[in-house]
Amino acid sequence: MNIFFVLLKKELKELLTAQLVITIAVTLLVFHVIGKAVGSHNKSSAARNGIVVLDLDRSDLSARLIKAIAGTRTRPSAAPQREIAAAMAAPEYAAENSFMVIPAGLQAAVRAGRTSNIEYYSRFRRQASGLGPAIAASQIRRTQQAAARETAAYLMQLRLPGLDPDFLRDPAPPREFAVINGLTAEVSLSQVIGFIQSQSYFFPIAVFFIVILSAQMIMTAVASEKENKTLETLLSSPLDRRLLVMSKLAAATLIAAALSGAYLLGMRSFMAGVTGLGADPAVAVAAAAPALAALGVALGGPGYLLIGLSVMFCILCALSIAFILGILSEDVKSIQTMMTPLMMPLMLAYLLPIFIDMSTAHFGLKLLLYAIPFTHAFMAPQNVMMGNIAQVWWGILYQAAVFAVCVTISTRLFSGDALLTLRLRLPWMK
Amino acid sequence: MTNALEITGLVKKYKDFEAVAGLDFNVTPGEIFALVGPNGVGKSTTLKMIATILTPTAGSAAVFGLDTIRDAHAVREIISYLPEEAGAYKNLTGREYLDFMAMVFLKDGPRARAAAAEGERLSGLGARLGDKIKTYSKGMARKLLLARAVMIRPRLAILDEPTSGLDIVNAYEIRKTIKALAAGGMTFLISSHNMGEIEFLSGRIGVINKGRMLACDTPAALKARFATEDLEEVFIKLTQ
Repeated sequence: MNIFFVLLKKELKELLTAQLVITIAVTLLVFHVIGKAVGSHNKSSAARNGIVVLDLDRSDLSARLIKAIAGTRTRPSAAPQREIAAAMAAPEYAAENSFMVIPAGLQAAVRAGRTSNIEYYSRFRRQASGLGPAIAASQIRRTQQAAARETAAYLMQLRLPGLDPDFLRDPAPPREFAVINGLTAEVSLSQVIGFIQSQSYFFPIAVFFIVILSAQMIMTAVASEKENKTLETLLSSPLDRRLLVMSKLAAATLIAAALSGAYLLGMRSFMAGVTGLGADPAVAVAAAAPALAALGVALGGPGYLLIGLSVMFCILCALSIAFILGILSEDVKSIQTMMTPLMMPLMLAYLLPIFIDMSTAHFGLKLLLYAIPFTHAFMAPQNVMMGNIAQVWWGILYQAAVFAVCVTISTRLFSGDALLTLRLRLPWMK
Repeated sequence: MTNALEITGLVKKYKDFEAVAGLDFNVTPGEIFALVGPNGVGKSTTLKMIATILTPTAGSAAVFGLDTIRDAHAVREIISYLPEEAGAYKNLTGREYLDFMAMVFLKDGPRARAAAAEGERLSGLGARLGDKIKTYSKGMARKLLLARAVMIRPRLAILDEPTSGLDIVNAYEIRKTIKALAAGGMTFLISSHNMGEIEFLSGRIGVINKGRMLACDTPAALKARFATEDLEEVFIKLTQ
């Protein structure tokens, strides 16, 4: 067997312990179970969140309103009580959170051109948590819109018989177009943004996981070899020291990729359970797919390959930096602290592009972010979708240069006294 | 005949601290030479420079005529180094460790396989070679490491405190192995605190203190020079 593969096999055996495999399996299971449990709870919570209607008007209009509300996936229950306080106190509505009061004289007031208020009551419980309150709020908003539309339609049919209320409500409906790189398609900006975000929803999380996991693994591998003095034995062997560096990098990359794949699966399973929409976020914007394809924002094979290349170099950069930090570590215990010089730029590269528009950001900030090799991978999906292919390639070239420099430094450190004599003590290390 | 080891004016400095301050000695082929001295006097640093993993600040070390800096790769082909209190890869079995090390030192092939088989025999661990190293006692691990160090038949074996921390039985077995291999022509450079061990094993000893060689001779000659039957007394008189 080639000596590189002998080293790689040894590294994999050392890194891939039973504890690690069990931890990942348990994590996957926990993600899946929590996702299912939360999803099932939210579904039952949504089903339970009907609206209790106190119809004090008992008119044609109030009947139309209740029918319209039922059309919004909300379950209206007619309450016999005449007072809201009595309805809320009634044992049969103890589990209900949303109440609607249709006032007496509503139809007469509308016909007479006077304003009359439909009242909505939302019971906010103590220790309210989870998605229940958000679902209830959304339901109240939908109910209000349906009631307002139906009341307006009733009035328009009364005053302008023969005319379509929908036409009267919006006689010149808007058509929205998005323009990207000179290509135009009839699709709203919110759909384009929604699509781009949905395509890159899991991506930064996965990259973040890979980088952290692989960096920790390689630092531990180097530091434990130093601590156990197994490294001294290898260094006194006729082995090419570059092979030692490359085999450790390769093993950490392989395991990190496998682990983050597992985490990604867990996250998707969790999100699918929570949202109940299925694992594919593109479902939400499927209706706009032809328009998005016409704009060129849909990712194809070459796009995915380019993103993959950028991620690969991002991981390699992180590994080579972590390798240097591992060499400078005093022992395995100091690994967590030694991660700081890697974590800081990683956090900046991960978080800042989420909140800052890079096209209008200050030059200094842009310089800082683009100097961090990880930024290019985090931004790769968006750049590919927006057609900034040259920028992705420049990013990959920069990452490759950083990787080459770091590997050269690592190999130099591996070939000299520094490996055994140099220790980095950060100011906050005891 | 070329010396197995020739050390000339060897110096190692760490900033202002001089760990090794101009050592001179040589070792003949097939000899067991011991470096003796208190803790922190430069024994391990000297061994690491000879093992090519530290670079001397000045002076030179030559192994069978090969310079440890200029011909570092060639030196690594003919030496084997066992660091003090070295560990092994805990998630490998003893057998996997020997196979791995044989391939690292000798590449894949019949020589590596023969070396690994020799390592299995020398370790004396028998069926326990199939167990993970993390389950081994300190003595078992040390025997495995010593077997690793000598199984490749190096021309010069550099052993830093080979029996440190071992019980009497394990230490005795390791000493016997070293003696038998030396009788077969292997050269040994060892460091130790154990005067009994040194007297049992070594043809000559070099007593060092503060990075300098205080005396270098056979145990018998040193005892005669200081008019004592006790090597420990020689050591104390030299280092105080």
